[in-house]
Amino acid sequence: MTSSTPTAPSPSPAAAAAATPTTSTTSTPSTASTSSKPTKQQPSSQSQKPSKSATKSKDAATAATSAPAAPADSATAQLTPAELKKRAKAEKAARRARERAERESSGPAGGAPSGGAATPGKKDGSGGGGSAAGASGSKQVPRRGSAQNASQNGGGGSVSGAVPAGGLEKSAGGGGGGESKGGKKADDKNVAVFGHLYGQQRRTTVAGAGKEVHPAVLALGLQMRDYVVCGSSARCVATLLAFKRVIEAYTTPMGTSLPRHLTTYLSHQITYLSTCRPLSISQGNAIRALKLAISSIDPSTPEAEAKAFLGEFIDSFIREKITVADQVIASSAAQKIQDGDVIVTFAGSSIVKQTLLLAHKQGKKFRVSIIDSRPLFEGKSLARTLANAGLDVQYSLVHGISHAIKAASKVFLGAHAMTSNGRLYSRVGTALVAMSAKERAGGVEVPVIVCCETVKFTDRVALDSIVVNEIADADELITAEPMQQLTGLPDPAAVTVSAADAKKGGGGGGKSAAAAAAAAANAAAESNTLAQNVSSPLTGWKESANLQLLNIMYDVTPAEYVDMVVTEMGSLPPSAVPIVHRMSTNL
Amino acid sequence: MAAATSTSAKPFDIVATYNELLRSDPDLTMPIAAIEALVLLLTHSPSSTISETLDLLEKSTAHLKQSIPNPIGLSAGTDLFQRYLITTLQRPGQLGPAGDFNAIRAHLLSNGRLFIRRAKESRDKIAAFGRGFVRDGSTVLTNGGSRVVASLLQQAAGEKGGPSAVRFRVIYVLSPAKGDVEGSSAEPEGMETVRALREKGVPVATIPESAVAYSLGKADVVIVGAEGVVENGGIVSRMGTYQIGLLAKAMGKPFYVVAESHKFVRLYPLGQYDLPIEQRVIDFKTEEDVADEATQQQQQQAQPTPNVKSPDSSDVVDYTPPHLISALITDSGVLTPSAVSEELIKIWF
Repeated sequence: MTSSTPTAPSPSPAAAAAATPTTSTTSTPSTASTSSKPTKQQPSSQSQKPSKSATKSKDAATAATSAPAAPADSATAQLTPAELKKRAKAEKAARRARERAERESSGPAGGAPSGGAATPGKKDGSGGGGSAAGASGSKQVPRRGSAQNASQNGGGGSVSGAVPAGGLEKSAGGGGGGESKGGKKADDKNVAVFGHLYGQQRRTTVAGAGKEVHPAVLALGLQMRDYVVCGSSARCVATLLAFKRVIEAYTTPMGTSLPRHLTTYLSHQITYLSTCRPLSISQGNAIRALKLAISSIDPSTPEAEAKAFLGEFIDSFIREKITVADQVIASSAAQKIQDGDVIVTFAGSSIVKQTLLLAHKQGKKFRVSIIDSRPLFEGKSLARTLANAGLDVQYSLVHGISHAIKAASKVFLGAHAMTSNGRLYSRVGTALVAMSAKERAGGVEVPVIVCCETVKFTDRVALDSIVVNEIADADELITAEPMQQLTGLPDPAAVTVSAADAKKGGGGGGKSAAAAAAAAANAAAESNTLAQNVSSPLTGWKESANLQLLNIMYDVTPAEYVDMVVTEMGSLPPSAVPIVHRMSTNL
Repeated sequence: MAAATSTSAKPFDIVATYNELLRSDPDLTMPIAAIEALVLLLTHSPSSTISETLDLLEKSTAHLKQSIPNPIGLSAGTDLFQRYLITTLQRPGQLGPAGDFNAIRAHLLSNGRLFIRRAKESRDKIAAFGRGFVRDGSTVLTNGGSRVVASLLQQAAGEKGGPSAVRFRVIYVLSPAKGDVEGSSAEPEGMETVRALREKGVPVATIPESAVAYSLGKADVVIVGAEGVVENGGIVSRMGTYQIGLLAKAMGKPFYVVAESHKFVRLYPLGQYDLPIEQRVIDFKTEEDVADEATQQQQQQAQPTPNVKSPDSSDVVDYTPPHLISALITDSGVLTPSAVSEELIKIWF
């Protein structure tokens, strides 16, 4: 898949990630355009921006309040050591806040409104605890109230609720230099029901990452962010391999021992990764296992030996929990495929791909119908791979589900996670496919089979897909995908160039018949590219009131819609997930 | 067992032993017969290493499965035995891989026998668990010739006139009699149980399979046996059980399955046609095919074929999915269908 625009800072693929099965996707042009935005507001935005970072709001708040206070302090000649220390701390905090502001101002513009309306309440809370100026302190109570109002009725009356909040926010942050833009755009762009999921903006650059973050992790973070490394298993493997390199490069500082210090050192890497994209369940499980292994090392073990042990541990974890597990799953799931079957699958699961390829290799005659969806189009590479392998493949998008399911005899699904109540947590759209299969009108119900490694099992319980989910950049919904991947249309970039040429020829030469003909020939293609590049009707969605975009990543399929879960420990009904999870974590 | 020892002179034939065991003891279920046959095989085999034993076991199991038309029930026994063998061998200590093989063998054989004895006792245990499901004044609908169901009902009926006796009625679904190979009786399967129950004073009505829907309104509870209990909690049972399950569900009657826990099979059928056996139930024919078959049959009658692979109508089974089953009454307690997989995982890991 080619990248439509030369965009997001993508460092050379680390060797770690190169070995993993990846699903590549195009990065979004709009983020690119915003990320290249000049970061001129740095100094002025200092006090306005920190409010956005919900998680580190305390830091930000102290920065915002104590930064203006610093000059006043310096006026008084004599300072006690304690005061000096405090001042140094404040300066450091201010610097950090500035760095963060820089980083975020280079992020998507969506950050400003989201911060403006949703997070002031949090900032207030911590600001009140700190040494807030009297003027802003008096405003705190009403401000907090209005901010809550804004976030509560964000769905329907978000405009009326959010505007006063933004205004107050502006006046409160005015001490820093009055960045009024954020206040004006305070119209809430977060979908209210999912408000709790918005949290931090995804990191766009490596700028501002801690100095202790290893280059391999830096690269991996961005690859995950841009869906270069995509898919639960791939992310898990890539993370482990990156951590292996981190551990190889690690030396224990004086005065600490490896089992004690390495865990905290790894935490920095993990925090960085989670700012790029929220960690998957499999990543979480793998990290937990790794940390357990680290803490089980005897502190007196020589460092080289301990590192060798951890390297070995990571290798065997990947082998046992993913590589071999995938083979076992593929071979037992392939047994369920029979001659004449029509297999429906959704998006691009690597384990389903492996299963289908194996069944094909075993000489079974069956067709595959791939259901795909925007904006990631993960099914495309699956379709290509299967077609290249000689399988009969039908590709359609999710709106064609009722048609595609008519011919289906089995449904194979990949998983992001299986929860302890037997529900399947997977790419958004999966539940729709499973439901269509089970509730197919006027036919025998189609068995729905989930292929899932036990490393993706979690002891969490999911009742709906609202409480736990992941929200991706809404701009991904606007961008038009290049059309050439499967359909064989000419490359839009090339078409644009030739169209422009033709235009030039038509305009400059005027009566050149050849140029006119070329222009006519290109007319269709031109309009096509125009539609793609120039105006998606949603382009200015952040400026227009009453318009919210939701780009949700996952959904939850009820256990009743799943007939069988194929794991490396055997085939199970979804109700057996907690038992197997308990066993696989205890062993 | 006597039959098996008599054959010790010639090479041990596992299939013959299995069939002989089943014939000699009418109370024996298929998985137990399979285990017993395997234990006998081990006593006869001169194997002296672990891998040799496992190899022999695997080969004979495959052979046995191939030569029996419906190996689902049987495979529960063979799998269980194999699993037991492996776990025993993996255990550290005298009986582990480091130990003396002869000791291991002796241990295996004695435990195998113990297992068989326990399995036979399990029927009484189930009857004890299941008695509570047959209430005073209730009507039970059942089918087939399941020995566990029979023992459950008989125990519920109790001693004639005894204080613990439950007064209940039975509607017995009888499938039409088929030409039995043994030729001993032309009466339908289950007639024996019907007689035994009537003897104990339990009023029994016998109905054909076509009258199930009609009669179900008069029944309070459905109790059936099973040939195998599969991983998702569904059951593989004689043909006709599935439709009773569907009807019971539609009418809101509880549908209980009585099965010993050694009938749990490591099998996960997704539907009726996903069973690992070839069943020619639905057999489309034209006039031409019928004529062809007739001539073939005439040829076959000339030379009798040994161990016919095609099962006769009495052996066909269907699959009842777990959502139709209210509970499974087993010797390890009364389980919901979803608890079956838990039990199976406990056995297998």
